[in-house]
Amino acid sequence: MSQKGSDKFKYGLLKAIDVSGFKVFDPVVRLIFAEEPRKQIQDIAKYMLLPIIFCLVCFFMWDIIGPRHKTKSGEVPSPGKVLEAAKDATRFKQREGEKEAAFVAEGKDREALLADSKKKLTEFEEKTAELQELSAAAAKSGQNKIDASLNPIKEKYDTLKAKYKTAQTERKEAISTLADQFANKQASKDELIAAMEEDSLQKESEKEELKVLSQQLDDIRANPPKEIKEAQLAANKAADEVQHYKKVIDILTTGNREVKKNALLEKAEKAEAALTVATTGAEAQKQAKAVVSNKDKAGKADEQKFPKAATIYWQTYRSLATVFVGFLIAVLVAVPVGIMCGLNRIVMACLTPIISIFRPVSPVVWLLIFQIIVGAFFPDPDKHWLFQTMNESKLLPGFIHNLQVNPAMIFSACTVAMCALWPALVNTALGVSSIDKDHLNVAKVLRLGFWSRLFKIIIPASLPLVFAGLRISLGVGWMVLIAAEALSSSDGLGKYVWDEYQNGSSQSFANIILACFVVGIIGFFLDRIMIMLQKLVSFDDGSATA
Amino acid sequence: MKTHKILRTIIGLGMLGATSVSAEQLDVEKDELKFGFIKLTDCAPIVIAKEKGFFEAEGLQVEVIAQPNWKQLLDNVITGELDGAHMLSGQPIAATIGFGTKSHIVTPYTLDLNGNGITVSNAIWEQMQENDPTLDTDTPKHPIPATSLKPIVDAAKEDGKKLPMGMVFPVSTHNYEIRYWLAAANIHPGMYTSTDLKGFTNGDIELSTTPPPQMPATLESGKNVAYCVGEPWNQQAVAKGIGVPVTTNYDIWKNNPEKVFGVTKAWADENPNTLIAVTKALIKAGKWLDATDASGKLINREEACRILSQPNYVGADYDVIKNSMTGFFYFQKTDKREMPDFNVFFKYHATYPHYSDGVWFLTQMRRWGQITEPKPASWYKEIAEKVYLPEVYKKAAAMLIEEGSITKDEIPAADYDGYKAPTKDFIDGIEYDGKKPIEYLNSHKIGNKDDPSLSAK
Repeated sequence: MSQKGSDKFKYGLLKAIDVSGFKVFDPVVRLIFAEEPRKQIQDIAKYMLLPIIFCLVCFFMWDIIGPRHKTKSGEVPSPGKVLEAAKDATRFKQREGEKEAAFVAEGKDREALLADSKKKLTEFEEKTAELQELSAAAAKSGQNKIDASLNPIKEKYDTLKAKYKTAQTERKEAISTLADQFANKQASKDELIAAMEEDSLQKESEKEELKVLSQQLDDIRANPPKEIKEAQLAANKAADEVQHYKKVIDILTTGNREVKKNALLEKAEKAEAALTVATTGAEAQKQAKAVVSNKDKAGKADEQKFPKAATIYWQTYRSLATVFVGFLIAVLVAVPVGIMCGLNRIVMACLTPIISIFRPVSPVVWLLIFQIIVGAFFPDPDKHWLFQTMNESKLLPGFIHNLQVNPAMIFSACTVAMCALWPALVNTALGVSSIDKDHLNVAKVLRLGFWSRLFKIIIPASLPLVFAGLRISLGVGWMVLIAAEALSSSDGLGKYVWDEYQNGSSQSFANIILACFVVGIIGFFLDRIMIMLQKLVSFDDGSATA
Repeated sequence: MKTHKILRTIIGLGMLGATSVSAEQLDVEKDELKFGFIKLTDCAPIVIAKEKGFFEAEGLQVEVIAQPNWKQLLDNVITGELDGAHMLSGQPIAATIGFGTKSHIVTPYTLDLNGNGITVSNAIWEQMQENDPTLDTDTPKHPIPATSLKPIVDAAKEDGKKLPMGMVFPVSTHNYEIRYWLAAANIHPGMYTSTDLKGFTNGDIELSTTPPPQMPATLESGKNVAYCVGEPWNQQAVAKGIGVPVTTNYDIWKNNPEKVFGVTKAWADENPNTLIAVTKALIKAGKWLDATDASGKLINREEACRILSQPNYVGADYDVIKNSMTGFFYFQKTDKREMPDFNVFFKYHATYPHYSDGVWFLTQMRRWGQITEPKPASWYKEIAEKVYLPEVYKKAAAMLIEEGSITKDEIPAADYDGYKAPTKDFIDGIEYDGKKPIEYLNSHKIGNKDDPSLSAK
C-alpha cells in the first residue's frame, strides 16, 4: 500500500513538473524515488549540470570581457557591478519607504524614529568625512600618478610644438623671400611651387606628429586611475545617506502628518481663543474663518499621502499590471474574432486584408495613434471618472490605487493589446478551422445547436492551438510594453530604462543591464505560466513546447 | 574640517530659519500637485522646493515627475496630466501665440538665468584652432566668437555639405542662443518659413532638434558637430572627452533668462491661491539656492547637487553636476574656470517675470521667421503681458516679505514696470531695449527685418 502511495505521489509530482514546464527536474524526482539511478544521474549531468556550467562560463566571460570594452560612457559593467546596482535600487526603495514611514509615524513611534535617524545621521556623517578624506588622498596620489606619466609627454609635446612653430615661420619667410625673388625674376616658377609643396608636406607631417602626442595626452587624461573614481563614488554613497537621513529628520520634525495636523489644530484653537475676545465684526469674521479653514485642513491632513518616488519595484508591478490589462483586451477581442474567422470562410476572407496590413505595424506607431485617439477621451484626466474610480474609489483595494492609473498607462495597455492581438487571432482561427471533420460530423449527427456545438466541440478541440497563440501573444505584449512605456513615459520598466539612459551617471549602464535581467526573468515566468495553461488544456504531451 | 562644521551650522541655522516661520497658509484650491521637469540642473528650484519642504510649508504635497522631452512635457501640462512644469522660456510664449501646439500658458516665475553652453566636437575645435592660432592654448581667451568656425562652415558648403548642429527645441533659449552666436559671426543659421518648420531655409548650416541627454551621443557619432544645451550635458562632453565647450550663454548675453515655471491659463484661473503658494515656495527655493556666506561662497549648492544627483531627479553623477553648479566650469580637462554666475537662481531679481524677457524671445521668433507676419510693437507688449504674471509674483513676494523670508531689496521696486533697463551685454554689443522691439530686430544683419513704421503702432 505504502509502495503504491509513494508511486502515486511520484507520478503526481512528475505530472506537476511536466505541466509547469520544468521537465528538466524530472530526473531529480526520479532519482529521489530511486528509479534507475544510473540513468537519472546521467540525465542530470547532461541536462542540468552542463547547462548550469555553460551559464557560469557565460557569466565568467562577461566578467572578463565586459570591463575591457571601454566606451565613452564608461566600461561595460561586470556582473558584480550589476549586482551592486540591484542593491542600490533596493536601497533606494528602502529610503522611499523610510521617508513614507517618517511621514505617517505618530506619537512614540515618531520619537523613536527621530532618535534612530539622528543616530544614523551622525554615524554616516562620520563615515562620509572619513571617506571624503580617503577620496581626497586618492585623488592626490592619483593626480601625482597622472602627472608622472603626463609631464614627460607634455614636455616633449611643448618643445616639439615650439620647434615646429619656429620652423614654420622660417619656411614662411623663406617662401616670401623666394616669392620676392620670383617677382624680381631671380627665381623660377617651379622653384617657388616646389617650396610651397615642400612646406605644406612638412606642415602635414609635423601636425601628424603633434597629433600623436596630443592623443597620448588625451588618453592619459581620459583614463585616470580607477582608485580616484572608486574612492569618490564610495564617499558619494555615504554622503547620499547623510542627505537621506537629513531629509528623514526633516520630515519627522516638520513634514510629518501628525505634526502638521497638531500645528493646524493649535492654530485653530488660537483663532478660536482670539474669536472669543474679538471686538470688531471684521476681526471676528477673520478669526472664524481661520478656525474653519485650519480645522478643515487638519481634517484633510489625515488623508494626505506621501508622494513616493518611483522605484524599480513599483515600476515592475505597474508594468505587470499594464501588460495584464493589455493582454486581457487582446484575448477578449482575438478569441471571438478568431473563432468567427475559423468557422466562416467569408469572414476570414473579409478580415484577411485587415489582419495582413495591420499586423506588421510597429508598436511605436500604434502608441502614437492611441495617444491621439484614446487621449481624446480624457480631456481632463484628473476629473475623468475612470481615473477617479481607479485611483480614489473606496470600493477598490489599495493595491489598485497604488497603480496610479493615468492616461499614459492606458495608451501603453492599448498598444500592448493591439500588438498582442494578432498571434492569438491567427492561431485561434487556425485552431478552429483545423478541427477534425469527424468531430463536426458527430455534431451534425447529434443535431447539436450552434451554441452547444461551439462550447462542446469547437472550443475544446481548438484550445491547444488557441493557447499556443496566447502564449506568443503574451510574449509579444511584454516585449512591446517596454518600448511603449519608454516612449509614452508611463511609469514602468520601460520608463526606468529610458530614465536611466537619460541620467547618464556612472551607474546608469549597470542599471540598464539590471532592467534587462528583470525584464527577461519576468518574461520567462510569464511564458512558463502560459505553457502550464496550455498543457492543462492539451491532450498531447506538449513536447514541442520546451 | 573646521570650516565644514561652521558651514554645517550655517546650513542648520538656515534650515531653522526656513522652518520656524510658520505664517498663515493660503487656502489652496488643490493640495496634491504634479509637476514635470526635464533632467537638467536648472530644474533645481522645483526639486529643492520639494526636498527642502518649501512646498509642504505652503500646505502642498508635490510630486515631481521626469518627462522624456519638451514636447511631451508641454502636452502633459495642456492635457492636465501635470499641474505645472519646468519650461523653456520660449515655450509659454510660443504656445500662447500658436507656434507649435497652441494653448494659453502663463508663467509667474523665472527659474534661473544663464546655464547653457555651446560645445563643438574635437575635430571642429582643432580646425578652429588652426584658423585662429590664439585658441591653440590650454586656456584660450573668452568669449570665443564663431569667426574661426566660419571658414570651416564655408569649406563644408563648398563640398555641398551643411554642417549639422544640435539644439534642444525650436523655441528653446538654446536655439536662439546658438543662432545668435553664429549670426554674430556672419554664419547664417537658416530661417523658418511657413512651409519650412525645421528652420533650414538659406542656412549655412543645419540646426536640428536633439533631446538634451542625447547630445553627447550625437556629437560622438558625428550626427552633430556642435550643439547648444544646458547642464550637465556640456560638462559631460568634457568628462567623456568628446567635445570642447567654446562659450557659455553668459558670454552671449549676460544674465539671460533661461527656464520658467509654466501652467495653463485655465489652471491659473481655477487655482489662483495655489499658484501664489507655489510661487512662494519657488521664491524660497531660489533664495536658498543662491544663499552665500560672508565671503560670497555659495553655501547650499553642494547639498543641491547631492539632491539633484538622485536617480529620480537629474540623476547624473554628483561630481558632474557639481562642476557647473558650484560656480566653476570646465572648458577642457585642463581649463577649469570660475564662473560664479553660470547658474543664477535668485540674484539680480532673476526670478521676477520680466516683460522685457518675453519681448526678447518674441523678437527672436520674428527674427528667425517662426513668427511669419510682421507685427507692430504694441503686439509684442500685449503678448508679453498675456504670458507673464508679475501680479502673482508680487503677491507671493509681498507675503514672503511679511513673513520675513525675503527682504524688500531682493525683489524689484513696487513701481517697476517689468522692462529691464536697455543693455548692450551681448556678444556683438547690439543694444536691446524691450520697449523697442522693431528697432532691435532691424539692428541685426542676419534675419527678418520689419518696416520701421511698425514701431509706433
